Amino acid sequence: MNGRNGPSDPIIDLLALRRAVQARDEWLDHGLSTAPADRATAEHAISGLYRLLNREPPRFTWVDSPGAMLAPDPPVAPVVPGPWLRDALALDPDPDTAPPVAAQLATLVSSLRRTLDRRIDQRFKLWASRFSARDSAAARLQPPEAALRDGVNGVLLLKTTVDESLHGSLHDAVRAPLRRAFAQQGGGPSDLAWFGQHDAHWVARYDVVDRLGLLPISGAERYQLDLWCALARSCGWWWPGEDVCVISERPTALHYEPVPNDAHGGVRLHRDHGPAVVFADGWCVHALHGTHVPAWVVSVPTVERITAERNVEVRRTAIERIGWDAYIDRAGLRLAAEAPDPGNPGFSLRLYDSPSEEWGTPTRVLLAVNGSVERDGRRRKYGLTVPASFDDPVAAAGWSYGLTGTLYARLARRT
Amino acid sequence: MPHNLTLADLTERSGLDVLDHLERAVTVPVIDGLQAQGDLIVVPYALLDAVQTAPGARWRPVPVSGVELLRSASGGNPHSLVADPGGCRWTTDVRDPSGLALGVLDATGTAYLIHPEHGGTGIAPGTYVIRRQREGAAESRRRRLIAD
Repeated sequence: MNGRNGPSDPIIDLLALRRAVQARDEWLDHGLSTAPADRATAEHAISGLYRLLNREPPRFTWVDSPGAMLAPDPPVAPVVPGPWLRDALALDPDPDTAPPVAAQLATLVSSLRRTLDRRIDQRFKLWASRFSARDSAAARLQPPEAALRDGVNGVLLLKTTVDESLHGSLHDAVRAPLRRAFAQQGGGPSDLAWFGQHDAHWVARYDVVDRLGLLPISGAERYQLDLWCALARSCGWWWPGEDVCVISERPTALHYEPVPNDAHGGVRLHRDHGPAVVFADGWCVHALHGTHVPAWVVSVPTVERITAERNVEVRRTAIERIGWDAYIDRAGLRLAAEAPDPGNPGFSLRLYDSPSEEWGTPTRVLLAVNGSVERDGRRRKYGLTVPASFDDPVAAAGWSYGLTGTLYARLARRT
Repeated sequence: MPHNLTLADLTERSGLDVLDHLERAVTVPVIDGLQAQGDLIVVPYALLDAVQTAPGARWRPVPVSGVELLRSASGGNPHSLVADPGGCRWTTDVRDPSGLALGVLDATGTAYLIHPEHGGTGIAPGTYVIRRQREGAAESRRRRLIAD
């Protein structure tokens, strides 16, 4: 039969999709959990993984946050590539040089994931196929049940609402800023750490398909997967050493908001006053509407810091904290030209000199006013950087859309 | 779609919502020239000689539930193009030397752009290019594209 799910794929019906969404939300909750770690479960699972490597279970040291590994003498030494790497790559490795346990674990888990990915690809011919932008958009735009009723492919929906949603919410929105903060503070690559609750997005892929009864999985594979599932449900990041394994508690607070208009339950970090993720020892990360920012952007966004900031996203977020108007005023930017804003009656476009020596290439700042009102009845002002060669604000605004000033002057309406 | 819809009519027909502080009872203007909605601009096709739809461009019908034109990187709010069934088609197979074109729409009826923060705006029958906004220095090869 050639149904919507293709000639051989299992049918993802409404009931299966509902169960998948429910399972996704469970895994999201684990990934965002701020409960104290379930230490017994976490230690039991890690011991199980060591045994799979024919090693004795390690001793365990608990820390309050990943930040504890940034101390001058962390409880477990970081793994650096050594002779074991050369041996691992060689055709006949020296049997006397065992690779570090972290490297062995990496091999163990990547082999499991490769096997299960391949099996999912075989089980669902469509899982591996590339969908058109149109199909992908249809799946992304609507809530999963509505999309299924609308005729969107069930396998595509499963990928979108479980895989992509959790990857966005946990890997991209939570784990990535924490890893960046860790690396920026001298942690170096945390590649040989595991992430406990922040591994939930990849664990969920297999667990959800298996829960739907659609993943052919052996007892040994499910056993190992269960260990990773147990870790995602019970603890924070962990660093496996030869004799000692360090495990971090989960954060004590994590502030987030739904991604606007996301039909698949996506979330992003956000906290207006204070850090978005906080651990018991005070290690923390700040984020505003999903943008990872240094603490000063949230606490004291000063003109001096903004002017010195090289990252354009951070700069923009910080300027928006104090408002473009206030920023331009306090930074003392010189007004170069002003003109009525075409299509936006009663408002003007203003062109300012920017602190170009700090921001690199010479630019000017075009200050415009939104065509629509905010909730408080006011209109938001926003700045755009434009090439320094512009003297006419209308020509600069036109350039921002790839138009000449003469053409942009014909703008009939702005909303 | 009719040309005298209010914002309330438009959200009801499309199922797309806008923020509740926007005025819903007023008629949404329908424009046949150049207009902007936040970081998008709608330009009559005839005014942009450099922009061409590709030969064999794939056109697709614009459904009443809308085509999402642009959404910001961190999720953000989308601009949606909506129209009555059969009233508008849309293609992204477009050549634009500026690299800013998202696509070209070809409407026989009135089409509308809806955005949760910017509200709605009407597009009179005709062919238009929709472009996004950029910022940066002219010399820079990596210009930043805006998505509000």
